[in-house]
Amino acid sequence: MNGSVRRVAITGMGAVSAFGEGAHVLWQGLRSGASAIRPLRHERAADVRVRVAAQVPESFDPTAHFDERTLPLLDRTAQFALLAAREAVAQSGMAWDSDAAKRRAAVVIGTGVGGENTQNEQARRLYADNATRLNPLTIVRVMPNAPASQVSIAYGLRGPAFGVVSACASSNHAIAQAALLIRAGLADVAIAGGTEACFTYGALRAWEAMRVLADDTCRPFSANRRGLVLGEGAGVFVLEAMEHAQARGAVLLAELAGLGMSADAGDIVAPDPAGAAAAMAQALDDAGLAPGDVDYVNAHGTGTLANDPGETRAIRQVFGPHADRLAVSSTKSMHGHALGASGALELVGVLGALREGVVPPTANFTTPDPACDLDYVPNTAREMPVRAALSNSFAFGGLNAVLALKRA
Amino acid sequence: MNSPLSDETIRQQVYDIIAKEAHVEAPALRPDATLKDLGVGSLEAIELIFDLEEHFDITFPESQASFDTDTVQNLLDAIRSALDEKSGGAEAAA
Repeated sequence: MNGSVRRVAITGMGAVSAFGEGAHVLWQGLRSGASAIRPLRHERAADVRVRVAAQVPESFDPTAHFDERTLPLLDRTAQFALLAAREAVAQSGMAWDSDAAKRRAAVVIGTGVGGENTQNEQARRLYADNATRLNPLTIVRVMPNAPASQVSIAYGLRGPAFGVVSACASSNHAIAQAALLIRAGLADVAIAGGTEACFTYGALRAWEAMRVLADDTCRPFSANRRGLVLGEGAGVFVLEAMEHAQARGAVLLAELAGLGMSADAGDIVAPDPAGAAAAMAQALDDAGLAPGDVDYVNAHGTGTLANDPGETRAIRQVFGPHADRLAVSSTKSMHGHALGASGALELVGVLGALREGVVPPTANFTTPDPACDLDYVPNTAREMPVRAALSNSFAFGGLNAVLALKRA
Repeated sequence: MNSPLSDETIRQQVYDIIAKEAHVEAPALRPDATLKDLGVGSLEAIELIFDLEEHFDITFPESQASFDTDTVQNLLDAIRSALDEKSGGAEAAA
C-alpha cells in the first residue's frame, strides 16, 4: 500500500443477530461454538419446506428501542441497523459536537434486499386483501438506502451517505466503500456495516425454489453439508482515520488494513474460485501483507455444495503452502447466512479473534470432505495468536469483497 | 387430471421440456444422458425442475440434486413417483 494513504482504524462495533442484541452477545456465542440456528419461526412455517433459520430472537422488541414517532418510519431492516449503530457509536466514544465534524462523517450501510418485510406486508394488502390504499410510509421504509439515511438522521451526520447492494457481499462492499472515503480524505469517520431482515413468506418461497437451503443445519466444509441456512440481523462499525482515532485517544479494535474486490463475470450463481482468489490477493496486497502474515481466514463458507470446495481451492491458490497453517472457519454455521448483513456479523468474529487470540470455530462439522482439505477449526474455538486475518464475502451475481484486518 | 399418464406420455412431455431448456432436439435425448452431458448448468437445472413441477403439478423432495450425475431417467423416475404419490393421496379429488 502507498505509504501516504491514510490508515483506517475500527473503534466501535455493534450487532443484532440470532444470538440477540449486542456485538458482545454475538462474540460470546461464536466463541462458545454454539449454533443459534433453530426451527423456523413464521406464521407460514407449516406450509414451507424451509425448516431451520437463524432469526433474531422473539424477545427483540422494537417499541423498547424506538419512540412512536420514529418507529412507523422503520422497516425491521432499519431497526436492526439503528440499534447496531447506537452500540458501535457508544463504544467508539464518538460525539459529533460541531457542524464541521458532522460534515466529515460518512454513513454506508449495505443490504441485500432492503425493506423486505414492508414490501411483503403491503403487497399482501394489495393483492390478497384487495386494499386500494397502502401505508404512506411504504416507500421510505422499503428503499434500500433507508438504513443509511436513518443512521445519518439519528446522529445528524452530513457527509457522504448511501446504501450499497451486492447481495451476500453487501456488508463487505459497504465497509470497503467507507474505508475508501476515509482514505480519499472525503470523511474522517464513517459508520458502516450491513443489515438484513428477510423472513417473509415470499422470500422463503423464493429461496426454497433455488434449492440451496439445508433442512437440517448449516455444516460448512463438512462432507454431509446440505446447503445454507438463512439468518438475519445487522452489524455496524465505526471506522476512523487512524490519526483521528489516535488524536482523541480512542480504543482501537483493529486496523482495517486492506480491501479486495472483484467480479467473476461468469455464472450468475455458481462461484468462480478465480474471482474469489483475485479479491483475496488484492486485499493482501492492499494491506501490505504477505500470505505468511495471516493467521485466520473467516470464510464465506455458506455450506452449499458449490461454495465450499471452490473457496478452499481459492484459499490454496492465494496462500500456497501457508494455507496448511491457516485457521479457516465459517461462523455462518452459528449466525446463519444473514445475506447483506453476513460480512458485518462475521467481522465481529474477526475482531474478537484479533483482540482475544481466540478463533471462532466452524460448528456442526462432523465429516471431512476430501474436496475441503484445510483446517476449519471444527466445533471448538481455538486459542492462538492472530496477527492478521481476512474476511471473505462472495455474492450471488459473482461479486466478491474481502477485508484484511490487522491487530491494533 | 382425468386418467393416469402413461410412462410414454410422461417421457414425451419431459423430453419436450428438457429439449427446450437444453436447446437440443427432443429425438436426440436418451434416458442415460446426464444433465451435464446435455450442457444444462446448475441454474438451468433448477429452472428445469421448476418447469417440470409446474407442468405436472408435483413437488420434488427438497434436496440438492447432483446435476453432474443425475440422468434423464432419474428425472422420469422422480416424476413417476411424485405423480403416483399424488394420485394415491388425493384420489377422491382427482
